[in-house]
Amino acid sequence: MNDTATETPKPEITDQTRPFWEAAREGRLVMQKCAACGTVNFPPKPWCIDCGCRDLPWTTVGPGGTVYSWTISRSVAMNWPGWTGQLPVVMALVDVDGGARTYAQVIDCAPEDIRTGLRLVVTMVPVGEDVFIPKFRPAA
Amino acid sequence: MKGRTAIVGVGRTPYSRARPGERRHTIDELIAWAADLALDHAGMSKTDFDGQGLAVAHAEAAHTVNWAAATAENLGLSPKALLRGDQGGASAAALLIRASAMIEAGIVDRFLVVGADTPLSIPSVAPGLPLSPERTRGVYWDFQGPFGIMGATAQFALAQRRYMEDCGITARQLARIAVTTRDHAVLNPAAIYRKPYTTEDYLASRMLSDPIRLFDCVPMVNGGLAYIVTSAETARSVAARPAYLLGHGEVTNFYAGPRSHPDITRTGFLQTGPEAFAMAGIGPRDVDVFLPYDDYPFVVMLQLEHYGFCGPGAGGHFVETTDLSFAGDLPLSTDGGQLSGGQPGGAIGGFMPLVEAVTQIRGEAEARQVRGAEIALASGFGGISYARNARSCVSIVLGAEGRSQ
Repeated sequence: MNDTATETPKPEITDQTRPFWEAAREGRLVMQKCAACGTVNFPPKPWCIDCGCRDLPWTTVGPGGTVYSWTISRSVAMNWPGWTGQLPVVMALVDVDGGARTYAQVIDCAPEDIRTGLRLVVTMVPVGEDVFIPKFRPAA
Repeated sequence: MKGRTAIVGVGRTPYSRARPGERRHTIDELIAWAADLALDHAGMSKTDFDGQGLAVAHAEAAHTVNWAAATAENLGLSPKALLRGDQGGASAAALLIRASAMIEAGIVDRFLVVGADTPLSIPSVAPGLPLSPERTRGVYWDFQGPFGIMGATAQFALAQRRYMEDCGITARQLARIAVTTRDHAVLNPAAIYRKPYTTEDYLASRMLSDPIRLFDCVPMVNGGLAYIVTSAETARSVAARPAYLLGHGEVTNFYAGPRSHPDITRTGFLQTGPEAFAMAGIGPRDVDVFLPYDDYPFVVMLQLEHYGFCGPGAGGHFVETTDLSFAGDLPLSTDGGQLSGGQPGGAIGGFMPLVEAVTQIRGEAEARQVRGAEIALASGFGGISYARNARSCVSIVLGAEGRSQ
């Protein structure tokens, strides 16, 4: 658990999720793609949510994505003052090319420029020692 | 199970905003208080529940293993059947289905169903709503909080934005729901916020996470609720006017469309509403009072559409042209709902639609009483799935005696 007053939250990295975070550190966005039916599972699942197959190899997706929906968080909530310095936080549901839908922060995007359908590109942003979070910015 | 069980008593403690100087009740104290009110309402006593059923809705502030069993110990009850609700705001409604099934199976004759939470008493490191440890563990959290989602409001905002865009819903139309429920809270002494406001006040309220404003958000309270469900035979012997379970439907983790890219504007109520109506042998037009789980106005708007009170995408027009007051065409959230009444934690707010349904059917709603209220539709909405919408959607139809045959 990190200092919520000054930092944004960090994930707990487990054996299950380590491949995701290691790929993020290398600049790649990966998701579990079912070996049997091809469904992309995200966030990480213990078996395929479509067919139940437990063979879910981590597969590079993106880097492009499309905004499915969006919001602009204008104040911190749930005791995360660590976000204060980034307000307003532009958040989106992003349909990742070749992947699944994810929550994501959209950076380098003015609140008035975010819209459904906007094309984005993923970028890995360090949030602490060795932890990189996938964020998106508007495609050029 | 149509008409085979009935709710014969309900209890709702006074709600507290836990202001300085106010007595801080524990969850157990609030459970006992709510149970006491429900027993009194039913004309029963604690001893009627030894060897019967106890059902406990999960509380966020109670970081307790074996929580339901611990509650039996704290209440000094020795239940023959013990249930724990684990579906957030859908727990109270889902427990009614489970308890009724066990009653109909002959395992027990009656269940005491309880829930309380003290979200304003969770120790926190900073002012504002606290994050319980349960919310910050596991894969669901690791790919949410660190990604920038600070809470339910942002999650709901993402669903609401897409819904408003797809269906052409305006903020002014959502205000109709918020203002109506506040008007009902004015008539309910138990509601936490009772000062009327206007559409303009709603529109002027501070934007928290576009398109969700302050007046879209449910206010947290500490409080407890309870109800007693029993066999129809026992119900006829103890209660002046039992509220019979006429229909129900339940789904958890409903998908609309491809699982990696579902349509998040379509909820499980599209499935459980028709199930509940079919069992009860009624349709939306037969509903005398509609008590949706209502922590955000757009959640109510979605349900108006998904229950078929109007067509898909027609919710905005519907609320503009329908009198939603207790004396109107479709009485909505007549207790002031959670939005103005207060939410004793997301998991326990789900008791409120059931409690108000019984209150209306029994004719005990006083200044907000719906005339001739015989059929109530209540819902439970539990949690939000990752990047989606409602996780559990439970539909309940309750009705008066004459409608149970």
